[in-house]
Amino acid sequence: MNRNVWTIVLASTVVYGILAVLMGVVPGIVLSNTPPTSGSRPYTPQEQRGRDVYVSEGCAYCHTQNVRPLKQDLVFGRPSIGGDYTYDTPELLSDHRNGPDLTNIGNRQPSETWQYIHLWNPRAVVQDSIMPRYTWLFTVKPKADPNDIAVPIPPAFGPSHGTIVATREAQDLVAYLKSLKQVPLKRGAVK
Amino acid sequence: MSVSVELLRDNVEPEDSALFSSFILSATFWLLLTTAVGLLLSFKFPYPDWATSSLLSFGRLRAIHTNGTFYGWASVALSGAALYVAARTSGIPIAGKRLAWFSLACYNLAAICGTVTLDLGLNYGDQEYREWVWWVKVIFLLGVFFSGLTVVKTVARRVEREIYISNWYTIGGFVFTLILSVVAIIPSYQIGLGQVAVQGFFMHNAVGMWFTFLALGVTYYALPKLLNRPIYSYALGVLGFWTNLVFYPIIGAHHFEFSPLPWWFQTLAIVFSVGMLVPVWSGTANFGLTMRGHGETIRRSYALPFIVVGVAYYFLGSTQGTVEAFRSLQSIWHFTNYTIGHSHATMYGFITFIAWGAIYALLPRATGKRPNLIASGLHFWFATIGVTFYVISLSVAGTLQGLTWAAGNPFIASVDAAAPYWAGRAVAGCLMFLAHLIFAYNVYLMTIAPRSETLHYETTPRTAVSA
Repeated sequence: MNRNVWTIVLASTVVYGILAVLMGVVPGIVLSNTPPTSGSRPYTPQEQRGRDVYVSEGCAYCHTQNVRPLKQDLVFGRPSIGGDYTYDTPELLSDHRNGPDLTNIGNRQPSETWQYIHLWNPRAVVQDSIMPRYTWLFTVKPKADPNDIAVPIPPAFGPSHGTIVATREAQDLVAYLKSLKQVPLKRGAVK
Repeated sequence: MSVSVELLRDNVEPEDSALFSSFILSATFWLLLTTAVGLLLSFKFPYPDWATSSLLSFGRLRAIHTNGTFYGWASVALSGAALYVAARTSGIPIAGKRLAWFSLACYNLAAICGTVTLDLGLNYGDQEYREWVWWVKVIFLLGVFFSGLTVVKTVARRVEREIYISNWYTIGGFVFTLILSVVAIIPSYQIGLGQVAVQGFFMHNAVGMWFTFLALGVTYYALPKLLNRPIYSYALGVLGFWTNLVFYPIIGAHHFEFSPLPWWFQTLAIVFSVGMLVPVWSGTANFGLTMRGHGETIRRSYALPFIVVGVAYYFLGSTQGTVEAFRSLQSIWHFTNYTIGHSHATMYGFITFIAWGAIYALLPRATGKRPNLIASGLHFWFATIGVTFYVISLSVAGTLQGLTWAAGNPFIASVDAAAPYWAGRAVAGCLMFLAHLIFAYNVYLMTIAPRSETLHYETTPRTAVSA
């Protein structure tokens, strides 16, 4: 049989086109309409800017936001449900957990100061941490202005002189991290 | 025995040879750059306070490593090989070469823009293998489209009666990737959990419907050519094509097991992950039976050992993927470094080794210039030992991470448990990168190095090459 090459092109297009619609497009459309978890709210403009910093710096390559219905995950919070992600685009569930899950970090670590110190140098608060430093989210000033957020870095981890001040990006990011709080589920909320 | 290089050379138009060489030179550049980045990243695990500027930070460079190896190296190398294979199996020169040159320009422009934008922190979201911003993806897609169109046009004008099985696979790969990319790039229906579903579909298909199809297609040409015998079974090749096409798109959700995606949707993905054993095992058997009884030829060839390792990792990595999909094991291995081991077993052990095998097999035939045999041997052993050590290190690291979590220890215990194996991975990475440098030297010899028309290789029967 002398097959026409366009038969292969057409057959591939039709078969894969159907599968792409069934396995990609339809689930995408259906699940995009998941209603938000009762009691959750959209991000404030500052939190959203902080979320953009999180995405931009690739935090999701080491931090999941996906608490699984498994015993070992319950330390991070209750199991995540679809409605928890309604305001989360781009989604940040992530495949990699080199660092802890952050779904509920706003409740688990509410201290702004801890977050700032940790972003400046994670090893200042967690000795064995392998997280990168995000020093470019800070500036070093000779003396902090009254409106500045000065970060009390332990002397061993700070510059020899001057004060470390959080930039707007750092403030936004920390506002986002503080906003990551799971909404408690009401009885019967999950089918 | 003395072998003239001209004996080796296929009857290839100089312009086809230049086109193929340019694809491989570009791909080699991206391999060197993005695996240098990968090596830097591997050292950040034992030394997190090293190279800490924003432009060299882990979160930005990681996507440069993955996207660059995918779209700068493997895509370009295999597209170039697919073009060459289309011409050889059709008995004519590459048709419409201008489009192919344009395609190569698009691939390179996309890789440049993608690398720069990612380093500046501009991305589509931390969603693996589709981090490039939309306009970079469009440039890349133009590259896929025009390479695919050139392959189709070449096959359409063939003088051979049948369309060789290689072209089924490569044409399929181009078509699937175009459809997949359009599905992935349209933002309007990807909100929250909906985007998770599309991401599972995308990240899996980007590997299995693009690289797997191109690599298998190229193998179906290079292997029989190198062994000078027909493929064991044409029918098994066709079976592999259809089962891969039908099963593969269904299994993407196994990347999000235990997530809020519908449970039955995840189960469906697991079931079809088992179905993937059909194309994987039949494909492996087909290649294995073609090679059977040719151990001596393989041992003397500089190209065939790469294909042997590529096929072995195709079998091991893909079978591992099926096993990993089971919920009992996924509950331990998910989120751990085991996944990174798996992705290197497949994208490196399988895809990259097949690309190397194809380059060593076909490029000398296109240009009439040979690689250095000692260098190709060193390349082979450094890369093979490197990737095997890499996969073992991260498989152990990942298993320990998962077990530490399951034991309910504090999180940092999983970091401490994996730390020695991360150091091992960095050592493996050094071996792999060294192999890439040697490979680049051989690519130079096979392409732009000055040709000596009187060049003869003095070889004893023991080291005579059949590649």
